[in-house]
Amino acid sequence: MSVGIAIECDGIGLTYHAKSGTPVEALRRVSFRVAPRRVTAVIGPSGCGKSTLLLIIRGLLAPSAGRVSFVDERTGGIVPTKPRMATVWQGFNLFPWRTVGENIGFGLELGGMSRNERAARMQRSLAMVDLTGFESKYPRQLSGGMRQRVGLARALVMEPEVLLLDEPFGALDAQTRLVLQEQLARIVETSGTTAILVTHSIEEAILLADTVVVMTARPGRIAAEIAVDLPRPRSLATTHVACYSSLFDQIYGLLRDEVVKAMTTEMEIA
Amino acid sequence: MLKEGPSMQAVIERPDKGTMQRLLQKIGEPRVLAWIAVAAVLLMWEIVVAAAQLNPIYLPRPTQILIALAAMFNSGGLLTDLLATLGRIFGGFAISLIVGTLLGIWMATSERVNAIADNFIAALYPLPKITLIPLLIIWLGTGGPFMLAISALGAIFPIVINTVLGIRQCDPGLILAARDLGASNRQVIKMVLLPSAVPSIFAGVRLGLGVSIILVVAAEMVVGKVGLGARLYLAGQILETEQVFAVLIVLAILGVVVTKAQDLIDIWLNQWRV
Repeated sequence: MSVGIAIECDGIGLTYHAKSGTPVEALRRVSFRVAPRRVTAVIGPSGCGKSTLLLIIRGLLAPSAGRVSFVDERTGGIVPTKPRMATVWQGFNLFPWRTVGENIGFGLELGGMSRNERAARMQRSLAMVDLTGFESKYPRQLSGGMRQRVGLARALVMEPEVLLLDEPFGALDAQTRLVLQEQLARIVETSGTTAILVTHSIEEAILLADTVVVMTARPGRIAAEIAVDLPRPRSLATTHVACYSSLFDQIYGLLRDEVVKAMTTEMEIA
Repeated sequence: MLKEGPSMQAVIERPDKGTMQRLLQKIGEPRVLAWIAVAAVLLMWEIVVAAAQLNPIYLPRPTQILIALAAMFNSGGLLTDLLATLGRIFGGFAISLIVGTLLGIWMATSERVNAIADNFIAALYPLPKITLIPLLIIWLGTGGPFMLAISALGAIFPIVINTVLGIRQCDPGLILAARDLGASNRQVIKMVLLPSAVPSIFAGVRLGLGVSIILVVAAEMVVGKVGLGARLYLAGQILETEQVFAVLIVLAILGVVVTKAQDLIDIWLNQWRV
């Protein structure tokens, strides 16, 4: 079993320059802690910089201020090398010229793993998302839901200690979404990975996360951190529990004002 | 060109048909019809020239041309000319493909290199390459290096430009995904940018190869001793009109073969597009 990794974001800020040259502050002093082996959802109005935050945590984007630390849950110390991380993307980002199997094996191929070992790990990962037998299909031949399961398998095959999910089901229809949410919840629970889920769905955040971090409109700041104490496994039935409704209302109350604010700034820009 | 889908006729086909009807339907098929048209034109040509008793110096009959073509292949060394021309075209083209793709990658991934190369390309690309023949002869003579240079010059610009375009059009999400999975800069280029640019590069290859063929044949007409262009020019000078037509036929067939081969490669390269 992999090491449990906690993530500490300390005063992260990001200001970039728009094409016109005017500076845009996307994130301001974002500090929060992601518990090891737990799912933390980040929710906020569109344009609040939540996906950007994920890129910063992944190390694909340098913040203008602050830093991200990864902490070993056993020793309590900062890990010397970055933990294994993998991302599942909203737009799937599958390589269209590669088959499903080749997509899943991409990261392993980069690491120089032998073809046989790669194939074995690819098959295991494919089975986890119930896509056995689809390894020689091209992404274009699959439905949206199947493509995102490939995206998930491509991340899981890396055996990540930190799994980053950037609105993974945002591009999918409601039914597919429900099924994939349950599948994801099961996989994350059994793998013991630390996960950050960026989403704009309150329902998804409550069903999947142990903690929900609510962000403000741009510049994105932390508005609140809310613990989700609902029992697992959770399913659609969880949404009928009284405790669920109060959580939903609490998060919605926080979000509503921010969404309105985001809409007005958008109108100002337009 | 590309394969046709099932024709409407095939869809509405009924099982109880006579042999005659089936034959007519076969003739009506576009592919068959296309060849029938070619045959009809050749037949008309043969008949009209024979009936009007035209001087073969102006217009020889198709049968005379075929006889001349066979003779040129059997004893006239036309195969040597063909191989020389092919060697020049594809030799120069191969240089262009390698140099052009590498330069394109370099330009697309480096702002500075792009800025430097851009002016030169803007100046040289619209220039008819045929105008460079005199200068290249002064520099390189009329031998192999000249032929390779003129062929490479024809193909390199479309290949560079399309490589740059193809790489620039790469979905940034794919680059992020590759980086997330641990790709180095070199691996991003080799495993993401290049494959995603392949359809565009191949479009450049199509354009470039066409220009290479034109330039090599033209250069051979100007200075060649062997090669299809030289053969064509020589035959024209001595009014061997059958031989002129024979060489034109070889060039036309070469064009068809190249086009069809490109179509097949295109289909193979694009199989992931389903």
